[in-house]
Amino acid sequence: MHSGRTCRGGRFTLSDIKLTVDGEAVVVPAGSTVLDATRKLGRSVPTLCHDDRVDPMGSCRMCLVEIEGQRRLQPGCAFKASDGMVVSTSSDRVQQHRQLLLSMYMSDHAIDADGLPTERGVGNRLRSHVLEHGHGPTLPAIEAPRGYRDEPNPYIHFDAEACVLCNLCVRYCDEVEAVSAITLAGRGAGTTIATADQQGLLDSSCELCGGCIAVCPTGAMTEKPSRANDYREAEKVRTTCNFCGVGCQLDLHVQDDRVVRVTSPDPGTTVNDGNLCIKGRFSYEFIHHDERIMQPLVRGRDGNLWPATWDHALDVAAKGLLGVKARHGADALGFVSSSRCTGEENYLMQKLSRAAFGTNNCHQCAAT
Amino acid sequence: MTNSIPEIRDAELLFVIGSNTTEAHPIIAMEMKRAVKNGAKLIVADPRAIWLSNIADLHLQLQPGTDVALLNAMAHVIITEGLVDQAFVQQHTVGFDTIVDATRETTPEWAEGITGVPADDIRTAARLYATTKHAGIYYTLGITEHTHGTDNVYSLANLVLMTGHLGVRSAGMNPLRGQNNVQGANDAGASPVFYPGYQRVDDPAAQARFEGAWGVDLSPDPGMNLNVMMKAMATGDIKGMYVMGEDIVLSEPNASKVEQGLNSIEFLVVQDIFHNETTRFADVVLPAACFAEKDGVFTNSDRRVQRVRKAVEPPGEARADWEILCDLARRVGYPMPEYADPGEVYSEMAGLCDKFAGISHDRINAEGGLQWPCPAPEHPGTQYLHGDGPLKGKAEFQATAYRPSEELPDEDYPLLLSTGRTLYHYNAATQTRRSSGAMARQPRNFIEMHRRDAKIRGLEDGELVRVRSRRGEVLAAVNVSPRMKRGCVWMPLHFPDSNTNRLTNDAGDPTTQTAEYKVCAVVIEKLRAAAK
Repeated sequence: MHSGRTCRGGRFTLSDIKLTVDGEAVVVPAGSTVLDATRKLGRSVPTLCHDDRVDPMGSCRMCLVEIEGQRRLQPGCAFKASDGMVVSTSSDRVQQHRQLLLSMYMSDHAIDADGLPTERGVGNRLRSHVLEHGHGPTLPAIEAPRGYRDEPNPYIHFDAEACVLCNLCVRYCDEVEAVSAITLAGRGAGTTIATADQQGLLDSSCELCGGCIAVCPTGAMTEKPSRANDYREAEKVRTTCNFCGVGCQLDLHVQDDRVVRVTSPDPGTTVNDGNLCIKGRFSYEFIHHDERIMQPLVRGRDGNLWPATWDHALDVAAKGLLGVKARHGADALGFVSSSRCTGEENYLMQKLSRAAFGTNNCHQCAAT
Repeated sequence: MTNSIPEIRDAELLFVIGSNTTEAHPIIAMEMKRAVKNGAKLIVADPRAIWLSNIADLHLQLQPGTDVALLNAMAHVIITEGLVDQAFVQQHTVGFDTIVDATRETTPEWAEGITGVPADDIRTAARLYATTKHAGIYYTLGITEHTHGTDNVYSLANLVLMTGHLGVRSAGMNPLRGQNNVQGANDAGASPVFYPGYQRVDDPAAQARFEGAWGVDLSPDPGMNLNVMMKAMATGDIKGMYVMGEDIVLSEPNASKVEQGLNSIEFLVVQDIFHNETTRFADVVLPAACFAEKDGVFTNSDRRVQRVRKAVEPPGEARADWEILCDLARRVGYPMPEYADPGEVYSEMAGLCDKFAGISHDRINAEGGLQWPCPAPEHPGTQYLHGDGPLKGKAEFQATAYRPSEELPDEDYPLLLSTGRTLYHYNAATQTRRSSGAMARQPRNFIEMHRRDAKIRGLEDGELVRVRSRRGEVLAAVNVSPRMKRGCVWMPLHFPDSNTNRLTNDAGDPTTQTAEYKVCAVVIEKLRAAAK
């Protein structure tokens, strides 16, 4: 399920590459990057702008490593591994670089009372990198005149103060969703993420898939509906999306018996490879909608539907269906099962139709 | 799907026909976009200039309902230019001669006259498809929702067989399932002709197996399928209905006739999560739990059985469908077992079906989704089908001949209407109409049309018009769209206040009875003019 960078579908094999990372030997397939090799060994090399689903860009400089024979530190995400390469991921030089780089990012980022990059309820990798690797001297804060305005789309919030301009959201929008709705705009310290011609997202080619939120490493892109919810407090329940037939895996974030956010499992782990569409990611408002049917209803003599107990409603349903069978035979009954319901429920519906009532008139919207 | 979704990115050629993948299956479309980025060729056959056609090497913009002509012309090219995989045909198929005969006259020039696709494009498409090894076909309801839907599928299968694009990674025949659990519902036997696991109800051995397991006598008579049931309500052959999880008034074709049927039956039970157009007719409404409120499995397009897990409690007194069904069965005197949870229901089904015998909730919990066939607990599941030759031994070619759709435009109804789903909404849309983003993007029904078709009728973009067919009429906003061919219009099916299925034709395919949602004739009336 991993990136298409290696040979297609394993139909032809290229020779493997042997290299050394932090003194340990590792073998990776041809075409692998240094980052791939470090990950295979379980080394923790920090990244911000990297995602296996898009082409490496090497812009955030977070993953720089030392490679013997290379004068400069090199970005592990973009530098190809080669035979006999000797890589260090934690030399003094690499550590020094990381701490200084994190200082620079922090000078251009909202900082909380603890002196750490601000957490926005969805995780902030800049913060975890600082916690893991420390930071260098505190640099003067940059007063970023970044163009930013809240806009009326219902789902995607952009907080320019949290953005490190890694460009990952833009690349995802270009390369994976491929609608190219957002772009880097402006220059220097004023650079920001925007749409073409500064239109609102709803007037752009955006399809509201929310991929920008999912890939954002610092929480600059967040979900408007769940901004108040801290991800650390939610319980995650792995399930399958209830819309189309792709079968995307979802993690429902549950707080106080409510679904407050939906995310995809990590890329490379399930059939959707970390991706979701507008329906899978955002169309969960219906779950807790106050128009849900909350109690059984039975039509009264006045022609209206009236609330009833389960006992009464099931009794009326059973007698009504048995009455039709008694008067007209089992084949005068029709059972419409549902391709929206579970496999078990479809099994039980056809069993009800066949075993309990004696008819094969059972179908579902397969052809609809 | 004979292949799996993760194989798409490694394909060398994608032939997408009758599938607006970016809107109906967005995440599969992402895989297709990636395949194209990796260098795969893309051929799109669709009457509309859908999103994928923008990145396609070739867009065959055929007239709706002319797929058989297009596909048989492709077969003609493959056969006459010697591009047939003779070894595969000889080893794995029967009846190739019938195809040679059936496609002798179906030249690309002949097909151009019917489909409107340039003959040279048909040739190019046929050559590309036949000569690329890892070439997969992807289709959905644009192929099946026709009165010749079965012929469309046969015609595609003929192409697959004559080129040997089967049983190979990233090459095969891939219907993309429209709904979360269409595959699973069929697998579980919610079908008038099949018990669970595709065992025929008129096969005495299967009947005996299920009679033994369920402890009752069973009927050997195949039942009515959904489209037939809808019509049978109006004719009096169906007198009582139990409808779970479908808004049949909004989803089934020729909605006025469905309503007429619902008015004339004696008893209707509806089990759902929201009130909809069908609950208006119900004698009893049973409140059900939604997917986030219950346990079970959904089976996706690539036959992957995956878990659905309860995350929150159902609202009010709503209950999971499986619990309601068990209770009702006991009320009518059938001793449904006291299942502790849906895992036990699945085990009962798996015990009766060889295809799923190795699948269980416990295994999915431990290993993730499992793709059937999976006949034993130690079997890893099946990524792509027919790897060792066609499953049934020899695959049979099925000759097809082009037949026009049931109802074509004429003087009174001059426009050809196709219907479908949009990215933002989902079918009867009880869920997505309660979604702020979907409503921000698509708050009301619309009719896509070519700018010339709008201009000659004096219609402005956004103007509300009356759309009328022989069966009914609705109001919709004009959406002038560069995607449309002249003479063709397109509408989504998501809006109860403007039910597109009042227009659609309920004529069914002779084999499957699947209705012709993709072709009917309509006329557009300007509202101001109509008011005079």
